[in-house]
Amino acid sequence: MTRDAYVLGRGMIDFGERYEDSFDDLLEEAYLALLDDVNVGSDEIDAAWYGTLDVADEGMSGAAVAHATGLFETPITQVVNACATGSDAVRNAVLAVESGQVDCALVIGAEKMRDTAEGLISLAAEKRVWRGRGVTMPAFFGMRATRHMEEYGTTREQIAEVSVKNHRHGSMYPHAHYKFECSVDDVLSSTTISEPLNLYDCCPVTDGAAAVLIGTEDLAREHAPELVRVAGTGLSSDSFVRGNDASLTHFPATRDASSRAYEASGYGPEDVDVAEVHDCFSITELVTYEDLGFCEVGDGGRFVAEGRADLDGEVAVNPSGGLLAKGHPIGATGVAQVAEIYEQLIGQAGDVQVDGVEVGLQHNIGVGRNATGSVSCVNVLERV
Amino acid sequence: MSGIRYSRDRRQHDRLVAFECQDCGWVSYPEQRRTCKRCGAAPAEFEEVQLAERGEVQTYVVQSRLPEEFETPQPVAVVDLPQVDGEGEPARVYGLLTETDGDDLEVGREVVARYRELFTAGDRPVHSFKFAPPRAESIGTDGDGAGDRGGEGER
Ligand SMILES: [Zn+2]
Repeated sequence: MTRDAYVLGRGMIDFGERYEDSFDDLLEEAYLALLDDVNVGSDEIDAAWYGTLDVADEGMSGAAVAHATGLFETPITQVVNACATGSDAVRNAVLAVESGQVDCALVIGAEKMRDTAEGLISLAAEKRVWRGRGVTMPAFFGMRATRHMEEYGTTREQIAEVSVKNHRHGSMYPHAHYKFECSVDDVLSSTTISEPLNLYDCCPVTDGAAAVLIGTEDLAREHAPELVRVAGTGLSSDSFVRGNDASLTHFPATRDASSRAYEASGYGPEDVDVAEVHDCFSITELVTYEDLGFCEVGDGGRFVAEGRADLDGEVAVNPSGGLLAKGHPIGATGVAQVAEIYEQLIGQAGDVQVDGVEVGLQHNIGVGRNATGSVSCVNVLERV
Repeated sequence: MSGIRYSRDRRQHDRLVAFECQDCGWVSYPEQRRTCKRCGAAPAEFEEVQLAERGEVQTYVVQSRLPEEFETPQPVAVVDLPQVDGEGEPARVYGLLTETDGDDLEVGREVVARYRELFTAGDRPVHSFKFAPPRAESIGTDGDGAGDRGGEGER
C-alpha cells in the first residue's frame, strides 16, 4: 500500500559567487529559508536526503547536514548521482513518504563549486586509456551538437537560441547567478571552448544550496498554500558504448526516466505546462526537448527558435534561467529545480510566473563513468 | 599514480583485441567483460575478435580549453572500429586525434589508429592508440612517420 507525497515548502538562496560563505553557511541558509517558508518545526522532520558531490570536500555524509542545521538524532542520507544528485535526493524522499515510513522529509542540496580551480574540467585529466581520456564536459555534450547538426540540419544559431532564452529568463529571476541578457551574435562570438560550443553555451561555475520539504497530504493541507503532489518519478542510466546510435545525439537515459515518470503520473509530454530541465550546455536543453517528447526528434532547433519554449510558449522551459543563467551548483541543482516548479504551481514565481500551470516537470542528466555513461532523473509535479 | 590499472588491459590496448557477446553481438573494448552492457546477459558468452585500425568518425569536437598537459586545439571523437574480418559489429570508442587540428574532420570520415605514448603513470609510459586522418589525405601535419615513435605532443 502506498500513499502520495506532496511538496510542503521550499527554501531557495541566491546562487552565485559566494566567496564569503562556507559550505555550511550555504546549507544553513537554505534550511532557514525553508523554515521561513513553511511553518514546520525541526522536531517534525523525520528524515533527510542530502544531495552533494562534495566538490569542496567539506560535506561528506549526512553528518554535514546535521552539523549545519542542528538536525542531529535524525536519519540523513547523502545521495550522489552525478548531475542528477539533487533530483534523485528528492526522488528518494518521495519514495520514503509514499512507502509510509516517513511523514515529513527534508531534501537539501548544496555545492561549493568556486573554492576549487579544478571544477568540472578535472574529468579531462583522468588517466583512462580508452574511456574519457581528454574528454571534458563541454566535449561530452558538444559531440551531440556536432552530430545533431549533421543528422538533422540543426543550425548553430538555433543552438544559441537556448542560451539567449535562458539568459533572458535569468535576468528576471531573483536567485540567478548571471542576470545579463545576450544575443545570438553574443553567443556565437564568445570564446571557443569545445568547438562547436562557446563560452555562452556553457553554464557558469556557481555556489548554491536549496531545500524542499516533502510530506503527506495531511501535512500539505496544513502547511502548503496549494496542494502540489509529486505525481511521478523516474531514474535511468545509459552509455554510448552500448552502440545505440541515438546515444550519439540524445540521451536514452532521459527518454527512459521520463517514460517512467510519465507512466507513474498518468501525464504525458503534451500535459506539461512548465519545465525546469538540464541545460548545462545549450545543446543539452535542445536535445532534451526531444527526449522528453516536447517536440519530434530532430525538431529541437525549430522548437526553441520559434519561441515554443518561451514563458508563453507550448511548454515554458527554464523560467528560472536554467543552469546557463542561474548556475549549476551540482548537488543543489535538482533540488532548486523542484523548488522552482513548486513556486510555479503555487503561483509565487514572480516575474517569471507562467500562466495557468497545472503540471510541471523537472529533469537532470548527468555524466557517469569515464565520460561514457549518463544518468537521468525526472520528477513530475501537479497542482491538485 | 599506480601503473597497475594500465597493465590489466594492455593486451587489448596493444593489439586492438575486443570481445563479442554471442547473444546480441555487442562488442566490448577494451574491457574483457562477463556481463553484456547491451543485452544484460549475465554471465554472457564472449568471444575474442580483432578490431581493424581503420575506423569511422561518428561525432567529434575540437577542444580549446584543457589542463596544461594537453596541447590545444585537441580534437576528440567517437569512432567506430570495425572487426578485421568485416563480420559483426564495430566497437564504439573515444579517441584523441593527432596529426590534425580538426579542420579536416567530419562525421563519417575515416581515421586510422596510430600507436602512441599517451601519458606516463609514475615513471612508466602508457602506450595506446590515437587516431589520425589517413596519411595521403592528412592536412597540416609536419610530415609522415614523425609521430610513430610516440611521445610528441600531448602525453
Ligand atoms: Zn549481449
